[in-house]
Amino acid sequence: MQIQLKCSCGDGSCPEWAIIELQGVVEVQPSFQDQLQNLEIGKLCRPSSQDVYTFTVGYHELTGTKVPLKKPFLVLKKVKLGDTEQSSNNDSADSAKVELEVVGIIRHRILFKTRPKALISQPVVKERARASGSIGSN
Amino acid sequence: MEPCMLSISGGAEAVLDLQENSSISVAYHPLYGPHDDLILLELDEKLLNDVIHQRVFLRGHPDENAVFCTQSKTYAVKFVGSSNSVLLIPSSNQVPEDGDSQYGNQKKCDRDVASVIKLAPGHLELVEIAPKLDKIKLLLSENPYKLEDVSAMEMEETETKKIGLYRWHDLVNEVQASEEELKSGLKALSAVEIGGHWRLVDESCIGMILKMLLHNSVLNDWTLSALDEDEVLNVLEADGFPRNIAHHCLSVYGDKVNKGEGRCVWRLNERRVCVHYARDVLRDGRMRIDQFIDEWKKRVPEEMLANFEMLDGEVLKEKLGVETWVRPFKVSSLPSDPSERFSILFKERPKWDWRDLEPYIRDLSVPGLSLEGLLLKFTRRVQASSEAEPVFSAR
Repeated sequence: MQIQLKCSCGDGSCPEWAIIELQGVVEVQPSFQDQLQNLEIGKLCRPSSQDVYTFTVGYHELTGTKVPLKKPFLVLKKVKLGDTEQSSNNDSADSAKVELEVVGIIRHRILFKTRPKALISQPVVKERARASGSIGSN
Repeated sequence: MEPCMLSISGGAEAVLDLQENSSISVAYHPLYGPHDDLILLELDEKLLNDVIHQRVFLRGHPDENAVFCTQSKTYAVKFVGSSNSVLLIPSSNQVPEDGDSQYGNQKKCDRDVASVIKLAPGHLELVEIAPKLDKIKLLLSENPYKLEDVSAMEMEETETKKIGLYRWHDLVNEVQASEEELKSGLKALSAVEIGGHWRLVDESCIGMILKMLLHNSVLNDWTLSALDEDEVLNVLEADGFPRNIAHHCLSVYGDKVNKGEGRCVWRLNERRVCVHYARDVLRDGRMRIDQFIDEWKKRVPEEMLANFEMLDGEVLKEKLGVETWVRPFKVSSLPSDPSERFSILFKERPKWDWRDLEPYIRDLSVPGLSLEGLLLKFTRRVQASSEAEPVFSAR
């Protein structure tokens, strides 16, 4: 059985996708588990002209860089054809039920591999909290 | 599907071209999900051209590990998992369609948002491998071309005995190799295309044609080193052999000699003819070496000199008491996978001298591994002294 790797990109103009890579796991608050769509993960910033980036997720700030991939990644999409698409002749060796198509290429990733920095609140706010805490502990 | 507002600053571009002193929101895509149909494949830059021009195929049956084939090379496909969180962000103009979530989802194609479509669990990588050509012999041996088929062809039977018959396209679908490697594999097996099907010609059939050829060469006073193709084929055709099979016989046992002037001249290959007769003599198994050599010399054409060195990779000598015996052991019937090859060799004999072993492994080819590398990987080498011959055994 053979599947042709299809590519309708044209000469060297595959849409370029991107990767943001983090060590660890992004956790979503339990109440949002079923509604991930459109939920913001974080903010990606480039503070200077250098290829240095920060990614702020919740109260963590990660620092990373844009790195070219040693070898590009192709983004492939597997398409399962319905029964109606199959050819009706006996030579079924050709009518693969699966098609594979190149939909994008990735040449860079924004890689974060340092320990996240916890963004702590200002000391002033802390004192107030302590004060209100003492009132509350009556 | 609602059309996405074409925005140059959204999606992957927004991330990759992020300017200094700017920021962008990264969010889960409206269609975020497992998207198991989206796969990452790591590809060497030099293979990109082949992919763009759609010259790449994945080959294999559901029960086999798929291989990735260009026109000339074969690669194993391996999944490499990642423990990192790999957020995949599509190009802004492109959203993978997902029939199920067409309804009710507000598509947000905001210029300030880079949307993550999925978390990639890892990627596929390619490792160049030797093509898996053993299957060709397996398939073509299902229905080798025999002498009986000669008459069948004359009667132009079309529908009979279609089992075990493979066209080029069938082989491409069955064999995990690139087309060029498949072609080489067929050539190495001396396969021939007859009536659109690739066939292996049965040994006794082709032996019979060779016999007739040699017989006729004596009758007609032909020179075995300068056979005229037309003359030979005409005579064999008159004897009842199809022209293309007779031609195939010439190509198996001979080499074309360029004589120019449009004449096709062949020279019989001494080694190939002698090996054929050696196999003939050993048809029933092993023989005492002196007997074998006598018989062999008798069967070989007069003009040819049978030489034991021709039988490298064809026979094994063994000492039984004071006598030396020979028996058939063909490298061509051994598997091409190195691990399987060494396993069979060491089952045959636990210890091998280099001199005996070499003919049975010289055809092994693994990309990235030399013969020394293969020996290191699959054998244990023992050398009694610096002058002694090394001896190889299983690891």
